[in-house]
Amino acid sequence: MTQYLVRRLGQGLVVLFLVSLLTFFLINLAPGGPSSLVDISTTVAERNARYALYGLDRPVHERYVAWLGGAVTGDLGTSINQGLPVSRLLMQRLGATVVLALTALVLAAGFGVLLGIVAAMNPNRWPDHVVSTVATLGMSVPNFWLGIIAIIVFAVELRWLPASGIVSIGRGADLIDRLRHLVLPASVLAFGLMPNVVRVTRSAVLETKATDYVRTARSKGLPDGKVMRKHMLRNALVPITAMIGLITTVLFSGSVVIESVFGYAGIGRLAIEAANGRDYPVILGVTMLAGTVVVVVNLVVDMLYAVIDPRIRHG
Amino acid sequence: MAEVLVRTASAPLPRRSRFLGRVLRQPLGLVAFTVLVLLVLLVVFGPAFLSHSPTRTNPLQTLQPPSAEHWLGTDELGRDVFARIVHGGRVSLSVGLFSMLVGLFIGVAVGGSAGYFGGRTENVLMRVVDTFMAIPTFFLILVIVTSFGNHPVTIVFTVGLGFWAQMARSVHAEFKRFKTAEFVEASRALGSHHLRLMVRHILPQVMPQAIVLATLGVGWSILTEAGLSYLGLGIQPPLASWGNMLQNAQAYLFRAPVLAVWPGLFIAITVLAFNVLGNALRDVLDPRG
Amino acid sequence: MKVRGTLFRALVALLFALGAAVATAQDADTSAVLNLATNADPTLNPWTPGAVIESNLINTILFEQLTRYSPEDLTPSPMLATSWQAEEGGLAWVFELRQGVVWSDGDPFDAADVAFTFNDVVLNPDLGAQSASQFSAIDRVEVIDDHTVRFVLNEPFSALPYYLASFAGIIPVHVLGEAENPLQVASFNKGIPVTTGPYKVAEFVPGSFVRLVPNELYWAGEPKLAGMVFRIIPDLNTQVAEAMAGQLDVVTRLSPQNVRGIESTGALEVLRQSQNLFFFVAPNHDDERLADVRVRQAMTMAIDREAMIQAILDGYGEVASGPVAPMLGALFNGDVRQYPYDPEAAAALLDEAGWTVGPDGVRQKDGQRLSFYMPTGQFGDLVPATLLVQQYWQDVGIETDVQVMEWNAYIQDVVLGRNYEVTLAWWSMPPTADVAPYFSCDAAQTGNNIPNYCNEDLDRIMDEGRAALTLEEQADAYGRMQELLAEELAYIYLWWPDILTAKSVRLQGFPEITASAAFQHSFDWYVTAR
Repeated sequence: MTQYLVRRLGQGLVVLFLVSLLTFFLINLAPGGPSSLVDISTTVAERNARYALYGLDRPVHERYVAWLGGAVTGDLGTSINQGLPVSRLLMQRLGATVVLALTALVLAAGFGVLLGIVAAMNPNRWPDHVVSTVATLGMSVPNFWLGIIAIIVFAVELRWLPASGIVSIGRGADLIDRLRHLVLPASVLAFGLMPNVVRVTRSAVLETKATDYVRTARSKGLPDGKVMRKHMLRNALVPITAMIGLITTVLFSGSVVIESVFGYAGIGRLAIEAANGRDYPVILGVTMLAGTVVVVVNLVVDMLYAVIDPRIRHG
Repeated sequence: MAEVLVRTASAPLPRRSRFLGRVLRQPLGLVAFTVLVLLVLLVVFGPAFLSHSPTRTNPLQTLQPPSAEHWLGTDELGRDVFARIVHGGRVSLSVGLFSMLVGLFIGVAVGGSAGYFGGRTENVLMRVVDTFMAIPTFFLILVIVTSFGNHPVTIVFTVGLGFWAQMARSVHAEFKRFKTAEFVEASRALGSHHLRLMVRHILPQVMPQAIVLATLGVGWSILTEAGLSYLGLGIQPPLASWGNMLQNAQAYLFRAPVLAVWPGLFIAITVLAFNVLGNALRDVLDPRG
Repeated sequence: MKVRGTLFRALVALLFALGAAVATAQDADTSAVLNLATNADPTLNPWTPGAVIESNLINTILFEQLTRYSPEDLTPSPMLATSWQAEEGGLAWVFELRQGVVWSDGDPFDAADVAFTFNDVVLNPDLGAQSASQFSAIDRVEVIDDHTVRFVLNEPFSALPYYLASFAGIIPVHVLGEAENPLQVASFNKGIPVTTGPYKVAEFVPGSFVRLVPNELYWAGEPKLAGMVFRIIPDLNTQVAEAMAGQLDVVTRLSPQNVRGIESTGALEVLRQSQNLFFFVAPNHDDERLADVRVRQAMTMAIDREAMIQAILDGYGEVASGPVAPMLGALFNGDVRQYPYDPEAAAALLDEAGWTVGPDGVRQKDGQRLSFYMPTGQFGDLVPATLLVQQYWQDVGIETDVQVMEWNAYIQDVVLGRNYEVTLAWWSMPPTADVAPYFSCDAAQTGNNIPNYCNEDLDRIMDEGRAALTLEEQADAYGRMQELLAEELAYIYLWWPDILTAKSVRLQGFPEITASAAFQHSFDWYVTAR
């Protein structure tokens, strides 16, 4: 086990290194420079002076090595556009995204598993079809479109919920206020994630339903509910765990657009602002952070696999 | 925009003609297929019958409601909305289709090679796959589009790049399984070399699975292009796409919300149709879900 | 008797003023906190590169300037300087500074701060301070005594007091003087800076908001609001949604399409303000096809600018006859050559210039085609405006290849690199007729003269304007300048847009003339009780 862990961690580090290399060289190919250094009224002389201040006139590979040297010691540099240390920015924004992602995950998993079970217990009858359609709809509607409509309906027209932000000013410790700000963005995100949970749950439950021992248990007269809890759910955990791993990756992607729509100060919005503003240190920082999270989560998921089902051997 | 997960099938697969037939016999599958056929006909042949250009602006006739002259009204610059939907559909569907093909091709090539050859090749290739999967798709696309610009071909490749790693993972597992199948062993004993084995024997077995993923992938690609356009990074004017029509409509959200309805609706219907079709295909392959 | 009459009238006026002051003071809700929005995290330093749209207005409240715009006619009026005078010859100006001004940390404000701001920051080419090029006429600032400074110039600069009122806040030497780079002190720019304005920063939560509270050390007394909050909301639609939901009291840079929605709430009203800002299509004068003034004139007549204003700005704008906007009053000369929409006349003029319509519908002459590369940046109305212009020109036989570029890339390639043949953009200038940075030969190629237009007659007139110290002399010189610019069409002038600001109906004391003037008088703002 330890050997496996070490090997996986090693692979993870290689992946992260490749990610940093790929990202660094890619973004430096992008035309344009940091938006805080160049705007429509900047003259050529001003641009050159400002670039020199930030070392942007050095060749690309030199800048990468400098960045890498800092990164391995934990120094991710300073944001060009914001003037703040990258690590501080990441920590501030990550918390917000994690909260959003977890809420969306809970919503998606909760409703998804429920709907998946409903569908599986009534295969090919109308509850199954309804669930399937709703689920597919979730995968089909552009989530930013849904978000905008949600803002118009719930925030502007009905005034039930706030249109943007993480928390109202001066009410930082108010949990209810924070939850109210989470409802719309998390729901829109969850709506897009739910379909996969539904599908996986449904198929997992159907599969275990057909296995021998469940049939035996049912024939012995055990009520469905009990059988369900005892056997079916446990076996369904394997694909569901896989789902959770996948969703984590997805959440980073999904949050990018949603955070823009809802003015939610998380990692996703930071990524867009950094990419558009050519804030090289921040872009790298965000990508590395996302990559690390994904690598770690994949590792955890694979470990869970082993715990849940010892039949799955690690090669 | 959700990623796609596919359960691997374990049974040998039905032949193609029966395959399609079975899909069409499912009511949802039939509906989805019909909708898609109609859409394709509309965007392929529609432009020839249109009386309005999708790019002709008319500042004196902006934001007009639907009329006999303009079936869906005019947009913020006086252009005919219906013409833009049709031409935009061409672009969005093409981007969706070609991105999927890029992803499919690269995914099958890389995943197949990794699964078939094993050993060091597999190790290296799968690390590359892991790298791409480690960068959240949207970040990756964001970075690439910012770096390489927004020419339609770039967009197609970039969206395809967001998709291939998933495909590669699936295909890799499948190829690995079939590598040791009897019929493959038999062919190898007869002296077939690797490429022939991979393409002629294993690939057809894996194809239906890949097709399911691909169908769902088209929907995903269309949504991704729309998302990119919303952020201003996708297909650019004067070329119309459903995604950039949505982006234009943004500025008029409170003044003329109907501008956002049509492209959003068409995107949703198209992607829904692809997803339903994909699900139907998957059900045929693996009735237990 | 006359004196007594005057005295009596003065007394009545005084009583009225007192009464009004008492009334308004009673009306004012002193517990009101104003909610505003900005589209990104501001940088709390007026000179840091990149501190532009998201930072300008909040920096105007925080960092006082030597001069500010009068809310009646935008002429320079006292702020940190109480009076100023140009010396004989116009190559130096002496500014008397206000006594009793104190920084928010208690340190006194004096001439050393002014000298530091200009000598060490603005005029230091290595720091790349924002808008430093506007002050290139200044050689140095001398300290005469604690409350007097002398601006020594390289050349006459009659618009100096105007430029000193345009986002030119003074920064503290006792805080930033020792810093390696005074423009990049994070604890200042992104934390709690030391300021002179009526409100100071109490809290800055990155990504969320900046909270301001009254500066109890402010030289004019106690401001009338309990505080202000600038919420960071990047999406303009979300800002509008928040305003319509009652969560924002002021929305600046409102787009015309949202006016009706905002006004329908009843709690907000929309102010039509102006700014010395003009939209244009820049023809690249390095291209010989565009160097022919008849071509430029035809291109201007081919565009229906009124219709474009209607379509894109919902009517909130005016066709521009030149770079100087009518709001400049005496310095504006509208009596110049006009180019009303006339596509037939445009076509005739092009024919006259030798450009005849070819078989493909595009005009040609001597083997050249009238087809232009027209890149545009993704910002605001640039793309829709470009598409409309493309259509108008196509109708008279001028072809354009429109390429939409990302904003960053556009600036590098088109603005800085001059890689374009025609391009549509805008200039926002301080409220002065001195437009030399955008039109002079010096500013061509690497400066802000994007079209690379160079005309020595024009340079001479602009120099006259800079040297003219009386309003009459300036009006004369700049009047001739505007005539010449209208004939020459160095830029193809499109329109002067209205600047729309939404504000709560209960917010009073808010000068309506321009946004920057309004924010320079934030001390006067108050909110009436419900």
